Amino acid sequence: MVTWEQKSAIEDFLYREAMLLDEYRYEEWLALFTEDAEYLVPLREQVQGDVEPAGHPLIKDDKTMLMTRIAKDATGLAHVEVPRSMTSRVISNVIVDDGASPDEVRVFCNFVVRQARKLRDEAWWVGRRRDVLRRVDGSWKIARREVILDTSILPRGISIFF
Amino acid sequence: MVSIDELRDRTDWKNGLISPFIHFDDDVYREEQARVFGRAWLVVGHEDMLRKPGDYVTNYMGEVPVIVVRDLAGAIHVFLNKCAHRGVEVCLFDRGNARGFTCSYHGWSYDLEGKLVGVPMERAFYGDDLDRGAWGLEAVANVATFNGLILATFDPQAPSLAEWLGPDVCWWLETFVLAKPFGGLESLPGWHRNTSPGNWKLISENFIGDDYHVFAATHVAWLHLIREFRAQGLTHPMITYPAMTAGIVYEGSGGYERGCPFGMGLVTVGEAADLAYNRDLAEAELLGADAVEWVRERHRSLQIALKDREHKPYSFMNGLLFPNFGLMGFISPILGRHFLQFHPRGPLEHEVWQWTMVERAAPQSVKDLAIQRVYQGQHMAGLIAPDDVENFERLVEAMRARRTWDRPFHYGMRIGHEQDGPRGLPGNLGPNPSEANQRQFYKFWLGLMERPPAPAEQR
Repeated sequence: MVTWEQKSAIEDFLYREAMLLDEYRYEEWLALFTEDAEYLVPLREQVQGDVEPAGHPLIKDDKTMLMTRIAKDATGLAHVEVPRSMTSRVISNVIVDDGASPDEVRVFCNFVVRQARKLRDEAWWVGRRRDVLRRVDGSWKIARREVILDTSILPRGISIFF
Repeated sequence: MVSIDELRDRTDWKNGLISPFIHFDDDVYREEQARVFGRAWLVVGHEDMLRKPGDYVTNYMGEVPVIVVRDLAGAIHVFLNKCAHRGVEVCLFDRGNARGFTCSYHGWSYDLEGKLVGVPMERAFYGDDLDRGAWGLEAVANVATFNGLILATFDPQAPSLAEWLGPDVCWWLETFVLAKPFGGLESLPGWHRNTSPGNWKLISENFIGDDYHVFAATHVAWLHLIREFRAQGLTHPMITYPAMTAGIVYEGSGGYERGCPFGMGLVTVGEAADLAYNRDLAEAELLGADAVEWVRERHRSLQIALKDREHKPYSFMNGLLFPNFGLMGFISPILGRHFLQFHPRGPLEHEVWQWTMVERAAPQSVKDLAIQRVYQGQHMAGLIAPDDVENFERLVEAMRARRTWDRPFHYGMRIGHEQDGPRGLPGNLGPNPSEANQRQFYKFWLGLMERPPAPAEQR
């Protein structure tokens, strides 16, 4: 049973995590993931009848691949983030449920991320997240994140995190 | 419409001077929908996307939405995705399996062969007056397949697909893209799509020949990362990409000076081919014995297919079949094939529709690696393609004003050296990088634009 205190602590975790991303503090953000973390962005498509599922998602990263994306950004040579995108993440509709083990909780939320670039290029990313958070040495860590983007044609290449 | 003379002046492919006018002007865009997309053979999918009767995918031919479907007898049809009665889209899904298509407006319904089979209250409102045979879904003029690839054309006068492609394009496509000697390709379902600024020709010419941008500026962050990781001894995703470190690579061209252009970048031949093969073997060793055996067996089959050729290519990086069918091969057959379509969306925008295929005979470990490398690489969520999209955004921002269209772009790289490569293979091999394939692209494009419309095309 999730207590109000726990829920409040988890919400605080999510808001602070969003702040790290909005402030480009990617190393600190990466440290919030467990070593075996999975970061998944499924393909959204409209299908009819008896067909196979999508052959692969948009993103299925482990912690190493997340580190690789951050390292690419850190080169300062990635045009897609020079100059940097301005982003604000709004996290809402937080639901916390018991997880598969006493150390874990399942966390659901909705998000809106507006990405603004240069003079007038922008993208709105809207969707839901399904996270598994795990307690490691007294702190919450993200063990699994599934990002369900509400779009089947992406508005631009993905160079930010959700 | 812009005059033909002006278009010729502005498309001086011989001297490598091509005006951005053709990438930005509304009239040129409107005209090329009829003269290019109305005439060319266009890729609409792969047979492996339609394994069962009733399987379909939806796609676009130019700006026209189409349904690509396998009927109960196994034949493949391509229909315009619109009801014959009032033009409403009859299929709203990306892919599926269905017994037919029904319009949401007045309920006219069609079977998998496009025949009109249902008209609500037909007896009461039409009596015997409605000629069902004349009011089926509109089919495109012609559909053909080539080693699994499905192409269609709106032009009833179009040459056969084999003629359109020509033997050299067929040879490169079937051997190095569609895996004919190795058991063909397997499709991974799902369109991966993004929108991007920039005329469709700008991204198409990027794929047909622009290996200059890869190493010169656009993808330096990725290349820097590869070097950095290697120096640190890290064996992480992406760094095991077979980045070339020795040997000469070439630009391949099919249809050269003859017909529908097909280009491939970073084609490995000779020492570079041996290096790429050995890198694949080393990669396969990390995957297991069955992967090593498959890479070896595949190489034996390739050598048999190339036994009469003095120069033996192994792999390619990027490619394009005119007008808008892009390819990624990543210099390694074990990294699968990524197919991209660049659909026009007005003069200043295009949509990328991407899908993934792997070689059918490959062991699962190789297929898994190939799939992983898609979304890490040339993909809108990967480490490579987003930097391209950013460039197109900057290009369009700089050139919205007509004032900026007068000065031509420079396509002059390696003029006069187009054929300085090994001889004896179908098509042409030339130096890499080069802008020979871009020049061929615009030459052929101009040829289509110059040809006056047949009476049936004037609409």
